[in-house]
Amino acid sequence: MIPLRDFLPYLGKRVLGAIGVLIGAMLLVFFISYILNPNPAHLWAGARASKSTIAAVVARYHLDQPWYVQLYYFLQSYTTGNFGIDPQTGRSILSEMEFYFPNTLELVLVSMVMIVALGVASGYIAGMHFGTKVDHAIRIFYLATWSSPYYLGGFLAILVFSSYVPLFPSGGMFSQTLAPINHITGIYILDALVQLNGQAFMSGIYHVIMPAAVLALLDFGLVARIMRSSILNARWSTHVKAARAKGTPEGEVRRNHILRNALIDTNTIIAVTFGFLLSGTIVIEEIFAWPGIGYFTYQAIVSINYPVLIPCVLLFTLGVIVANFVADVFYSLLDPRIALGEGGGAEG
Amino acid sequence: MSTGAAGLRKLITSNVLSMFGLITASVFLVVTVAQVVSSGAILPYNAYQPNFVQANLSPSLSHPFGTDLLGRDMLSRVITALPIDVGIPIITVAFSAAIGIVLGTLAAFFRGWLDEVLMRLTDLFMAFPTMIMAMAIAATLGPSLVNVTFSMIIVWWPPYVRLVRGGVLAIAAEDFVSISKALNSSFLYIVRKDAIPNVLPTILVYATFDVGSALLTLSTLGFLNVGIPPSAPELGMMVSNVTYNLFLYPYQIILPAVVVALIVAGFSFLGEGIRESLDVKLRPHIFVRSKPAKAIETKTQ
Repeated sequence: MIPLRDFLPYLGKRVLGAIGVLIGAMLLVFFISYILNPNPAHLWAGARASKSTIAAVVARYHLDQPWYVQLYYFLQSYTTGNFGIDPQTGRSILSEMEFYFPNTLELVLVSMVMIVALGVASGYIAGMHFGTKVDHAIRIFYLATWSSPYYLGGFLAILVFSSYVPLFPSGGMFSQTLAPINHITGIYILDALVQLNGQAFMSGIYHVIMPAAVLALLDFGLVARIMRSSILNARWSTHVKAARAKGTPEGEVRRNHILRNALIDTNTIIAVTFGFLLSGTIVIEEIFAWPGIGYFTYQAIVSINYPVLIPCVLLFTLGVIVANFVADVFYSLLDPRIALGEGGGAEG
Repeated sequence: MSTGAAGLRKLITSNVLSMFGLITASVFLVVTVAQVVSSGAILPYNAYQPNFVQANLSPSLSHPFGTDLLGRDMLSRVITALPIDVGIPIITVAFSAAIGIVLGTLAAFFRGWLDEVLMRLTDLFMAFPTMIMAMAIAATLGPSLVNVTFSMIIVWWPPYVRLVRGGVLAIAAEDFVSISKALNSSFLYIVRKDAIPNVLPTILVYATFDVGSALLTLSTLGFLNVGIPPSAPELGMMVSNVTYNLFLYPYQIILPAVVVALIVAGFSFLGEGIRESLDVKLRPHIFVRSKPAKAIETKTQ
């Protein structure tokens, strides 16, 4: 375990670094939007808005003011804690994000479970069969799926498993005929499980499987590739030879000496994959009619709605930072030689 | 290992992955160049002229990819998209590598505050979600091919700076660089003669793989109709324009998407294969790889 006196300064350093990156991200998106499009009032108010509506939008978001005044009001809306009001829907941005984000989290978490299982297993098998037909087959498979765009995977899955062999629904998060369930975490299948609502839970699982499996199949190559090369690094190393020479049973050598060492490197890429998936689900959400944060962000981007875009970018950036942090902590748990704060793990 | 062209050929042909990648990537490059040079003369049919008599034909010998709902030959339409779908990713990666070489070498040689500023900036850009930033910049700039290339480069350069900086730092610690410095060689001379030739192979291998990733991002921008002008032929956009035909004429959606996957696979298989062949740690095990794994195990012990 990590001694607390090492952990706290490390945590402090990481939190400070994260705040720096978040402020940098916020200012950068603000300036890019401001420089490229200083008066988006007509975009936010809609194509057929009257002059008075546009004037109201301009007044509410201080769009007629110089950039530093706009930036001031903008930062002020963050101190209230709800990121201000969405100029297109008139609702609080925080409440909209609270609705969309758990949906994406559900999709990403289910697909992460599949990615870790598929990636670790196939990487291990390929590495242990290095140079054989099994190895080639696994590598060609994961490189080929990794090379496929999401829309190919998504449309093929819908075509085959919703149309030719109708096994799964082609879109949505749950059956529309079910009674709505109470909102606790916002993650539908988790809420259904907590409330012991079997029907809603099964419907949730039934709807999430196909989009999550497409995401997992197209992205598990990232994990499998690193897993395979870490297995190759570990299996011919001197400590494995030493363990075998000692007469350690083969199963124990593989489990404790090869697999455990390979997992140390793989854990970083799992964190990277998680951060990447959070913002990488736009196309899948679009195809499977999944009301997630990626879809929400996409709508904000095409209407140049930066009051909404900025909190979304901050959320994704925060996701990447948190995932890297968790990976670093795991890193030191798996490998006692690596102390936190020495720059041993993946840096934010 | 032999050097020069023969060494490179052996390197590529010794690996199944890089062989497949080389062939696929070359085919697409050749067709792209032919399409650009002949300005469309290689197309089997006119890619823009509607022909309603032949609308929505399934793939056949005369139309290998079928025809779309205006009766235009899909194969011809896919070929007209290649200059954009192969060209823009290559331009993006080339510019990113150039930025990486300049900034990475500066950071590694001068260290101090310059290094600190450049690396913090790189960290900041790397923490951003690539896809979202590219979309946001492309959307605010407005649809045009120059803008979409620009927005791709903005999010694409950071890994190259890190890669070059790391490589140059490793070389700067070598004796031959210290000696060169002691002999009063100029900064540019050391960079040109020692630093760049030593980092370039790593960058080239990474960049080859990366062309595939860049195309995935580009065609996703096209699929989401962000940044790419509606008049420009792009495979992702071609797919998104006919999604309503998925159940009626699936080939109109699946075939262009498969072409994207093939181009990406060509470059990434080539890059991945070369990277593995160059891996010094694996080299003792590669040349006995036709034997089963058990035999290798005993041999190395």
